[in-house]
Amino acid sequence: MEHLAPPLSALIGELEKLPTVGPKTAARLAFYLLSASKEDAAALARAIVELKEKVRFCSHCFSLTESDPCAICNDARRDGAVICVVGEAKDVYAIERTMSFRGRYHVLGGLISPIEGIGVDKLKIQELLDRVRAEDTKEIIIATNPNAEGESTALYLARLLTPLGVTVTRLAYGLPIGGDLDYADEVTLSRALEGRRAL
Amino acid sequence: MRVSTLDLANFRNYAALHVEPPGGVCVFIGDNAQGKSNLLEAISLLATGKSFRAAREADLVRTDCPLARVAARVTTSSLEVQAACIITRVGEGARKRFLRNGRGVAYAQFLGGISAVTFMPLDLQLIAGPPAIRRRFLNVALSQADRGYYRQHVRYTGILAQKNALLKAPGGVDRKLLATYNEQLAAVGAALIGARAAYVRGLAREAAAVHARWVGDAPQLRMRYVPSPALPEGDESPGAVLRAFSLAWETHGAAELVRKTSLVGPHRDDIEFALDDHALARFGSQGQQRTAVLAVKSAEYALLAAAVGEAPLLLLDDVLSELDAERRRSFMSSIEGCEQAFVTATELPDLAAGSAVSVFEITDGRLAARAQT
Ligand SMILES: Nc1ncnc2c1ncn2[C@@H]1O[C@H](COP(=O)(O)OP(=O)(O)OP(=O)(O)O)[C@@H](O)[C@H]1O
Ligand SMILES: [Mg+2]
Ligand SMILES: [Zn+2]
Repeated sequence: MEHLAPPLSALIGELEKLPTVGPKTAARLAFYLLSASKEDAAALARAIVELKEKVRFCSHCFSLTESDPCAICNDARRDGAVICVVGEAKDVYAIERTMSFRGRYHVLGGLISPIEGIGVDKLKIQELLDRVRAEDTKEIIIATNPNAEGESTALYLARLLTPLGVTVTRLAYGLPIGGDLDYADEVTLSRALEGRRAL
Repeated sequence: MRVSTLDLANFRNYAALHVEPPGGVCVFIGDNAQGKSNLLEAISLLATGKSFRAAREADLVRTDCPLARVAARVTTSSLEVQAACIITRVGEGARKRFLRNGRGVAYAQFLGGISAVTFMPLDLQLIAGPPAIRRRFLNVALSQADRGYYRQHVRYTGILAQKNALLKAPGGVDRKLLATYNEQLAAVGAALIGARAAYVRGLAREAAAVHARWVGDAPQLRMRYVPSPALPEGDESPGAVLRAFSLAWETHGAAELVRKTSLVGPHRDDIEFALDDHALARFGSQGQQRTAVLAVKSAEYALLAAAVGEAPLLLLDDVLSELDAERRRSFMSSIEGCEQAFVTATELPDLAAGSAVSVFEITDGRLAARAQT
């Protein structure tokens, strides 16, 4: 890229570091920004800087927030007796989008994986236990990913939480809505069978 | 089922190959190091998704080429399938992609489309070699017959790796996490053990019958599945296996912490072979071991055919060289009824009168059909 103006090749270099962005996409984005209005480009730059300056972890539930505690932890209309436990902060937004959960959250900051050096002490698990002991928690919904690490983490948490006298539940495994039955893989289908419900 | 076309591009020593093998027995003749095994390796890759030599995957790609492609059109009784595997060099290693009917599919989805039974000189270690060879045999055979088994095995291997990493973790072992992994390993392990026990039972029955046809009733070929944990009374029901797991961890749990590795579970299973009451690995002659392996492979073929409802492909690499002329002839006539078999040899075997085989010659990664005699 030596033939490009240095600011342009610098931007392409930065964009390339982003996940799922390859050299071609990076170049396309950079040229688009070059042709965009000065205001749009400045707004993007400002948003990125503010992201780094203003977003931090909620000291209570460890999701991302501008004010600490976060809006969800502060919202008195939320049901504090139900805590939904997720692996990453982005999972909070996935569940919030459904608009059907009215409890509060707890973000672990990852899933247990000794192979990757992620032991129990690297995650906000002790903090979760402290919350359950201090607050009047009735139910914990474990919403970790349905993969191997998510499974083990869920079972481990159930082992710790059940003796504290809370109800521990796990998101159901099911079939994707709008999908065809014969396209579902065997594992999804057999889990969906196990989790069937009376009509 | 049968392969109707096979195409290789930059696979091993093949730059480009297109062949339309006929049904029945296809014999591939060639001197050493011409590409006979490579050809069978390619077909087997489409059935199992893996090389049958415990090879580095990058070695499958022809020297100095970026990627290799193996593709075949396979006709079964009910449909025609196109299967392909593309191996791309990535740094020192390689990445595989699988396609079915031109569409990319996951490995687990790819498995089971084509079924094949492979037999090569290395298989002779099945009886006297280390237990890992017998477990690999079980895994390859069961994964082809049952996709559910494959998934369970992948899960088991994944959890086992996490448990072993936990046992080795600096700063001590969280006992509740260890108990969580054990709980999962026992549940998945029970499924694996149940499947393996049932498979070995069927295999033993079939292999004993085949063996008796070849050598007469005595001595009798016996196979015994030896699971870990040991199962009292041979009860392989999930409940009994779970109880056996907790019992075994009561005794070996401390040793696992000291040795920092998992000592209990189907990753330590084995199979024992015997002629009547004499362990074949210790007392069997070379010839007796060879005959037993052949019987087990024939049984594998029969069981796979029954499981998929379709005759699998038969891939025989260099097995004739292990046999004397008389046995070669009777072996060749025993496979004649196969829907399709690929046999490699350095020279054309004597054939019984009237037997029909198609003969190809392989020279330095090129193939030529030999005129029928
Ligand atoms: N990635 C590769 N690129 C190029 N050539 C390769 C590659 N891998 C293997 N070969 C060559 O393929 C040849 C071996 O082929 P193969 O193992 O099929 O021989 P064979 O005909 O079965 O011989 P034998 O009778 O000794 O078993 C060797 O010459 C080897 O160098
Ligand atoms: Mg060979
Ligand atoms: Zn919060």
